[in-house]
Amino acid sequence: MASRFAHFVKGLRYLMALLLIVPAVLLLAVGPRAGGALPSDRVIVDYWEKWTGEEEALLRQIVDLFNNTLGKEKGIYVRCLSTSSVNQKTLISTAAGVPPDIAGLWDTNVAQFAALDALEPLDDLAAEYGITADTYKPVFWQTCRYDNKLYALVSTPYDVALHYNKKIFHDNADRLRRAGLDPDRAPQTIAELDAYAAALDQIGPNGQIKLAGYLPLEPGWYINYTCLWFDGSWWDDTAKRFTFTSPAVVASFDWIQSYSRKLGKSAVSDFRSGLGNFDSPQNAFLAGTVAMVQQGTFLANFIHNLKPSMDGQWAAAPFPSVRPGLNNVTYCNTDVFVIPRGAVHKREAFEFIAFVNRQENMEKLCNMHCKISPLAKVSDDFLNHHKNPYIRLFESLAQSPNAHAAAPVPILPEVGEELSNMVQRIALLEISPAAGLADIQPRLQKKYDDFQARQVRRRVMQTK
Amino acid sequence: MSLSTDQRNFYKGMAFLSPWLIGFTVFTVIPIVLSLYYSFCDYSLLQSPVYEGLGNYSTLVHDPIFWTVLKNTVIYALMALPLGMVLAIVVAILLNAKIAGVTIYRTVIFLPSLVPAVASAMLWLWLFNSKLGLINNALRGLGMANPPGWLSNPTWAMPALVLMSAWGIGNTVIIYLAGLQDVPRELYEAADIDGATPLRKIWHVTLPCISPVIFFNLIMGIIGTLQVFGAPFIMTGGGPARSTYFYTMYLYDNAFVNLKMGYASAMAWVQLLIVLLLTALAAWSSKHWVHYSGK
Repeated sequence: MASRFAHFVKGLRYLMALLLIVPAVLLLAVGPRAGGALPSDRVIVDYWEKWTGEEEALLRQIVDLFNNTLGKEKGIYVRCLSTSSVNQKTLISTAAGVPPDIAGLWDTNVAQFAALDALEPLDDLAAEYGITADTYKPVFWQTCRYDNKLYALVSTPYDVALHYNKKIFHDNADRLRRAGLDPDRAPQTIAELDAYAAALDQIGPNGQIKLAGYLPLEPGWYINYTCLWFDGSWWDDTAKRFTFTSPAVVASFDWIQSYSRKLGKSAVSDFRSGLGNFDSPQNAFLAGTVAMVQQGTFLANFIHNLKPSMDGQWAAAPFPSVRPGLNNVTYCNTDVFVIPRGAVHKREAFEFIAFVNRQENMEKLCNMHCKISPLAKVSDDFLNHHKNPYIRLFESLAQSPNAHAAAPVPILPEVGEELSNMVQRIALLEISPAAGLADIQPRLQKKYDDFQARQVRRRVMQTK
Repeated sequence: MSLSTDQRNFYKGMAFLSPWLIGFTVFTVIPIVLSLYYSFCDYSLLQSPVYEGLGNYSTLVHDPIFWTVLKNTVIYALMALPLGMVLAIVVAILLNAKIAGVTIYRTVIFLPSLVPAVASAMLWLWLFNSKLGLINNALRGLGMANPPGWLSNPTWAMPALVLMSAWGIGNTVIIYLAGLQDVPRELYEAADIDGATPLRKIWHVTLPCISPVIFFNLIMGIIGTLQVFGAPFIMTGGGPARSTYFYTMYLYDNAFVNLKMGYASAMAWVQLLIVLLLTALAAWSSKHWVHYSGK
């Protein structure tokens, strides 16, 4: 009996082993292959991109177009992979020596990654393909450069303008007129913006905000660059010095704080904390709880997709500046293509980047993403058939001499964190802007100087 | 050369152990050792490390953000740890009672532990929403005209996160429940004969008997609260005005946003030393309040 049981257990063991081994062998032999669907006669270019959802799907149209035309002709196949936290994954893979051939990063990464030798310089390849400064609007060409070298090319850019809800303006026309304001146009100076906002504000009996004419912190994505509309900048690229304590910068943050003083710090923070997500119909501008917002070209797409009934009920205008004569000021932002250091197929990767940067392809991609074109030359077709009805305005803003981009500072994330914290503190009336800026000025300058000193020391060591 | 049975068994054991051993060495031991070296270097991950002695540690001491995050983390630990432990013990004692449907109650208490951290953070974001959130709606229903702004208010953001942490006590409750099942019935009977009230029975019988479990949960709690990351990272990003900016978040930002891997490594070692110190302190104090039945 015991012997039969032992045989049974032994048989069970063999059966279990067989059940594990056979599927494993079958999987190895005929299972899915990572590169199973890839053409074996082409060079595979790995491209990591941050976009997901609809934006990714639209980009894939361009990738497919390349793979079916020029890629086919030149024996290149671009494999596009949607990647979350793409900047961090690019960084880690670059450090490990196995980077993608192309990474779709943000413009704010360029200086930091370039300074740390994470990117391949693209000057030679760009020249070879006839891509020069003249190809682009100046602000975007500058964005792609660091320390006199080209490290990136633009994928899709946008600039910001004032978006205002025409229906709210119309519904409150009498209030605006009583305040001496024209309900049929946008404010043109900061003082006018404040007057429009005050006339449109609707405050409840307990001081709670029911409708805000304008709030600098809603959504506040570009709040760190408010000084541009005050004719200032917190970075002097010639002297390589921060200028946080310059009068224009202080004035811009004073203006941000003035809204907390006017409406009450708790009222503002409570109002903002009750707002919905940006990409939802509960977006403050879409929901009609904020009448004017500073936002990018792409907002038209969100309005059309999330609240089509609002189409035609909003308008865009240059964001007001502190003084008349300071016209068409804007902050430009862009996604970029980079080739990480150590990429295996650098030339083939650039072939794809150059393909996207051809006028017809770039305009197609930018229109699909509801953004402006970074190129100096823009076709009438692009302007006439763009998703954003105010595309001509956004294009002209980006061409303006007052168009500015992210400061080319390699410690930009730290600057952003410090400024973001300071903005929160001044909005909560915890600190005056002058004191806050005086506090961060020496700290950030020291961090910048330390960073540069370390880089110099490193270069000296490398040359030894 | 023939091997003895013991030798054969040893090699067989090592062969079976090797996948874990290799993984542990490659993914844990080597990174730990390297991080100690990097903590003395200027290292961005992208360029080779440059030795700079105690530079990172010296910068750390003079970094005001370091002290802010350390203070925030200690305050959070001091609030979340006692709250979580007391609440878990109380709930476990209640769930240990012989009442109808106790299995359902136990399941309900444990369920939040099964919800992924990101999902629960998103859920609590809405619960804490000052306008539409259930919490403020309930407070308004109770007559509070201006309930707190929770996550938008520096005074309330930290208590909000502490409150949320109590939601995930399910795991701890299960461990306490297991401990409670082991308390000898005769001790309660003896206490009954002596005329002890329910509270005295808990104080003099239950708590001493489950003190090893309390000690275990204390150690786990110290480690867990000092490493708080997920919920504030998703829900507040450290704000408003750095009021919920915690140690591990700053460490992460230095490593993967500011690309200061050497500095982040120094922070990690300081954190390890703090955890070690507190654990040693708890272990030292345990001889005064932890009772093992075998002794």
